Amino acid sequence: MVSVRYEKVTKRYDDGTEAVKELDLEVKDGEFLVLLGPSGCGKSTTLRMLAGLEDISEGEIKIDDIRINDLPPGARGLGMVFQSYALYPHMTIHENLSFGLKRMKGEQKLSPEENKARVDEMAKMLGLTEELSKRPKELSGGQRQRVALGRALIKQPKVLLMDEPLSNLDAELRHQMRGEIRRLHEELGCTTIYVTHDQIEAMTLADRIAILDKGELQQHSPPMEAYNNPANEFVKGFLVKHLNDIKETADTLFKD
Amino acid sequence: MSGERTMRDWYAPLEIYTLASWLRVAVVVNIFLLLFDYLRDDGMVYSLGGIALMAMLVYSLPDGSKSWRRDVSLALSGGIVLIGVLSILSAPIGFVIWMESWLVIPGFISLYWISSPHVSRWNKERMEIGRIEKGLARNKEHAAAYQRIGKHVILAHFAFIVLLPVIWIIDISLSPGNALGGSLGDSFTTEHYSKVLGGDQFRIWMTNSLIVSIGTTIAGLALAVPAAYAFSRFKFSGRDPAMFSFLLVQMFPGIIILVPYFMVMKTLGLLNSHLGLILAYSVTALPLCVWMLKGFFDTVPRELEEAAMLDGCNRFEIFAKIILPLSLPAIAVTALFSFLAAWNEFLLALTFNTSNDMYTLPVGLASMISSSGQSWGDFAAASLLVSLPVVILFIVFQKFLIEGLSAGGVKG
Repeated sequence: MVSVRYEKVTKRYDDGTEAVKELDLEVKDGEFLVLLGPSGCGKSTTLRMLAGLEDISEGEIKIDDIRINDLPPGARGLGMVFQSYALYPHMTIHENLSFGLKRMKGEQKLSPEENKARVDEMAKMLGLTEELSKRPKELSGGQRQRVALGRALIKQPKVLLMDEPLSNLDAELRHQMRGEIRRLHEELGCTTIYVTHDQIEAMTLADRIAILDKGELQQHSPPMEAYNNPANEFVKGFLVKHLNDIKETADTLFKD
Repeated sequence: MSGERTMRDWYAPLEIYTLASWLRVAVVVNIFLLLFDYLRDDGMVYSLGGIALMAMLVYSLPDGSKSWRRDVSLALSGGIVLIGVLSILSAPIGFVIWMESWLVIPGFISLYWISSPHVSRWNKERMEIGRIEKGLARNKEHAAAYQRIGKHVILAHFAFIVLLPVIWIIDISLSPGNALGGSLGDSFTTEHYSKVLGGDQFRIWMTNSLIVSIGTTIAGLALAVPAAYAFSRFKFSGRDPAMFSFLLVQMFPGIIILVPYFMVMKTLGLLNSHLGLILAYSVTALPLCVWMLKGFFDTVPRELEEAAMLDGCNRFEIFAKIILPLSLPAIAVTALFSFLAAWNEFLLALTFNTSNDMYTLPVGLASMISSSGQSWGDFAAASLLVSLPVVILFIVFQKFLIEGLSAGGVKG
């Protein structure tokens, strides 16, 4: 059972601005949660506090009922995919993938043979077997994205975090990777938190979406429920109206 | 037909374009040469006249609409050639030939090109559109070659100006006797080199310089790399004032710190020691190194470090496994700079060291030209030998230098 719980979590910066205000949020085991909101709404900060990249000003974050506020990022058992991929440019793909494995501690520590087997398995799953000895700059955007996914998944993390992972890809690839991410999620059943500002991405990927605005949770429900019963004006404008607009545009285009 | 009109308005034979840019360059060069005339106290009438005519020529080049422009241009070009020839005749042959050729040769080129059939036809008649198309194709075909020639002429001049002192020193070092004069390549000897290399002194100085410079590089980097990383990544009180105070020291001439440094070294008992110089040099080189490295570290994306954090690295591991390997080019450049600074430094080395055995190369070189006797030949040979390690370093680090100076290429 891996569940993530935010309890009255607040993020306050030095200058007094509050990026996240008393957030209560629960992510269930194996769930795909999408944090959706306009830019500056605090969705990335919410994710980064869980990852340990930002300090938590007030409140607690718990993974499996264990308070993780003061654990270093590497000890939280998370994998993260960054928007810019953040692959290590001076390492080969193999080294990129195994970098985290080599730093596991205690029972999780693997022998070099097991490490190699894991890397090979992951490369096979993501179709990267041919690229293992290349460096990131020799890869295409989609392949880099896959490596970033692989690096996050290879440690078999309790929770997979993704921070706008598709926004650097072109439309065609984005569509393709979206399907792939969903497929991976169903295959691995890993609890996932996914940050995006793209309504379509949120609707197609999520088991539940959490819509944020100005650091406050607006609605937390399955995507279709948010669409059918928006909790307030903001959700109506940001989600429902946007989707209806797209639908209308498509309808006019294909009328004939 | 506006398309045809545009074509006609825009078309000019390549000769005209090329002349327009080459003549401008020639005017600038001639203005510099005018300075020589002034310094040598020669008559400036010819040069001034040439410059004036050339400037007028630039603005009266044929433009395809007024045919009299061609005649004016031809007359002006002729005038330039005439002035050039006159001034060559009036002065003794020698270096001056080269100076005046900047009048004669451009003049000839413009005479030849402006009277060429392409320009004449374009100037005289209203050309058919097919002709213009052919002309444009011809322009495109030759433009690159003409540009290359122009560039190389200018670059050859710059190279010559830069290399002239070096050539001169090489000549002195290979000429017998210890005089400064002599003309290039009149006689040849290696006596100065064997004398310098055979003597103990030069070897002692070389050893001193190597110890001090390498020590400075290592000590300087050991201080600068962590400092720059901290300045680039962490927020702490006093960060900005500290960065500024680094610059502050650089604002004053080095001689100001000479006396305080001397007192410090004397108190510490570090006069006449390698360690004293290493300390002083690494401290003086520190500001530049820190600023350079900080600039580079700033370009390494933070997300890389965050990814490493999630992969279980602590601060030190991030620094050692991610930042350092990525910054190697920048660190190499910084190392080179601090090595050079120590290798060439004169004032502190002269002040701190009183015994001949502790001299570094620059101080040793200077001591060769004492009041008791000036052995310029030995001096020239020794200075070339001194610059040899630097040249080798530059050749070896060339790749890093280019990478390091155009830093920031760490994108995904």
